[in-house]
Amino acid sequence: MDNQVKLYCWHFMSYPYLPADFDTTYETGWVTVPNRLWDSEKSRGLYQEYIDQLAYADEIGFDGMVLNEHHQNIYGLMPSPNLIAAALAQKTTRGKIVILGNLLPLHLNPLRMAEEYAMLDNMSDGRLIAGFAPGSGPETFNYDVPAAPSREQFWEAVDLIRRAWTQDGPFAWEGRHYPLRYVNPWPRPTQRPHPPIWIPSSRSTETLVNIAKRGYCYFLSSRSHGSETAKSQAQFARILADHGDRFDPFRMGILLSAYVAETDAQARAEAREGVWYFLKNCLKGHLRREGRQLTAGPGIPYIAPSEFRNYLKFADPTTPLLGDAEDWSDLERSQSIIVGSPETVYRRIFDLIEHAKAGHLLIQFHMGNMADALTRKSMRLFAEQVAPRLKADSARLFARQFPELERTPEPAQ
Amino acid sequence: MLDLRGRKLAVIERGRGDALIYLHGFADVHGVAADLQPFHDRLAGVARVIAPAHPGCAGSDELGDGYGIDDVVFHYLELFDALGLEHFDLVGHCVGGWIAAELAVRHPQRVRRLALIGASGLFVPGEPIGDVFLHAQPERGVELTTLRRLLFADADAPAGLRFFPDGRGDLEEEMRRYQMLRFGSFVGFKPPYFYNRALTARLYRAAMPALVLWGEHDRMIARAHGEAYVTGLPGARALTLVKGAGHAAPLEEPEAAAQAVIDFLEGRGS
Repeated sequence: MDNQVKLYCWHFMSYPYLPADFDTTYETGWVTVPNRLWDSEKSRGLYQEYIDQLAYADEIGFDGMVLNEHHQNIYGLMPSPNLIAAALAQKTTRGKIVILGNLLPLHLNPLRMAEEYAMLDNMSDGRLIAGFAPGSGPETFNYDVPAAPSREQFWEAVDLIRRAWTQDGPFAWEGRHYPLRYVNPWPRPTQRPHPPIWIPSSRSTETLVNIAKRGYCYFLSSRSHGSETAKSQAQFARILADHGDRFDPFRMGILLSAYVAETDAQARAEAREGVWYFLKNCLKGHLRREGRQLTAGPGIPYIAPSEFRNYLKFADPTTPLLGDAEDWSDLERSQSIIVGSPETVYRRIFDLIEHAKAGHLLIQFHMGNMADALTRKSMRLFAEQVAPRLKADSARLFARQFPELERTPEPAQ
Repeated sequence: MLDLRGRKLAVIERGRGDALIYLHGFADVHGVAADLQPFHDRLAGVARVIAPAHPGCAGSDELGDGYGIDDVVFHYLELFDALGLEHFDLVGHCVGGWIAAELAVRHPQRVRRLALIGASGLFVPGEPIGDVFLHAQPERGVELTTLRRLLFADADAPAGLRFFPDGRGDLEEEMRRYQMLRFGSFVGFKPPYFYNRALTARLYRAAMPALVLWGEHDRMIARAHGEAYVTGLPGARALTLVKGAGHAAPLEEPEAAAQAVIDFLEGRGS
């Protein structure tokens, strides 16, 4: 393993044709956002544009492409990321295809997810990274998933899928939620014993313990960074140690957004429209105080009461969220959307790597209604002028921070 | 706090006389209030009121992962056995009314009289039960206006402002509401949403005298649900309305709501 940070291009596939008065006229971009706003004519070719941007990422050297599952919203038009992954398997040859992830409690039978992921792993010649997620608040409303039992249901599904990939079938699964008489999926995955498994979480101790117990990779799903990100890394490292395991950077991924242009001023000028379309419209109902935030809270009671008590003690309900940013300095504080020249973007992302010690950087380039040409230019500048420096410097940094990495004979999963 | 074969169960007991089991709802004792409210105290003036907290609420243990309405019914049968109660009056409000109805159709011989107040439990086509979970997510992080409008006659009802104030409330009050929503998520989130399609056809079994009491302006559970209970329960005569109240009639109009129940228990009302 080269010990360099891995850089992925994440595409959310937002809906870019909202009316200009969307924010003042509509309450939310999620769950109940009226779908008569979908313009079938303008949207011809939209998926192709987005798929082509991801294929371009593969072409210019990104380590992988990231997809995820959302329903009934303008933020992410991928109710089935597996369909996009199938297209990418045909259009690309090199990078990982990261699905982060299939929302297991929304699907009737986890066996179907085991089968589709195994198909994708075969179709991509072993390039799948298999993410699983329980689904956040909006999805419990979208698919009527009871929040309280959803975590137990989720982990049962994950365990069933891993066993379906690793144990010879047919065998019987005697779970509470998904009892199955014959588990015997064809095909089996290309990667042995199974594709890497990534699980997103925003700092829940319960989830981190479950990840550590099973040896999976932790993807920190928070969109804001800062001291909290370093704390999450330390928390995960501690929990791994408690389970006789050891943290290394390739056990953890983080999410950020970036726009690169020739100069700082030009980057801001070019990114402004897409960034604020994303903040005001796509995050309305998710990471914005304005309106009704459906992502977490008392109406989505999946968190164990003791954890919710901690959340109440430490979280101030009036603190602005990412989508409440009014200007560039608000955005800089969130350390989530990084906009600037190659030098600025390099510096700020390397700073993040130093603090987060995360080896997988999942980076959103297309934001909101960003034009195809600008998105591609930003990706190209990143690949040419930012990525090489991040790779070289992260390898030195990780070698210093994690000397044992050099001695690891096999890549960590 | 009772110990029910290793499970903790919080119960408030008050008053003397015939046993009256009170099963609470969302905007109610255990759901939002730590203690009995004036409505329940009035009942405790004429009966021995036994008000258990649903699993997970007010310090009661949850029933484990993935439990549902049937587990709750058995849980309460264990409670009645533990208390040595063979016969009792049964009063339920909101989701507590649903549980009461499920108990009454299964064990009609144990329920002397049944009173349902703004009860969920029935599937009534075209009259979906309000989405308490969505409205429990505050607007702008702190405003519960639409939740109060769902549960009370109007968003500025004093009882609504007291129990569902805007802004971060007292930690224990926030937790009480959270645990009530968590209980609700276990028994009633998944379609069926706080109802059991099979219940309507079973109501004929609950032939004891029955009162069906509804807030005049209930927006959480439409009055049509009350009418359906009246139609299905052989011992119910007509729907009784609490004037001026919304879904949380016992909190909003405690005097009138309690009087209607007491009249019924004493054989004067419907």
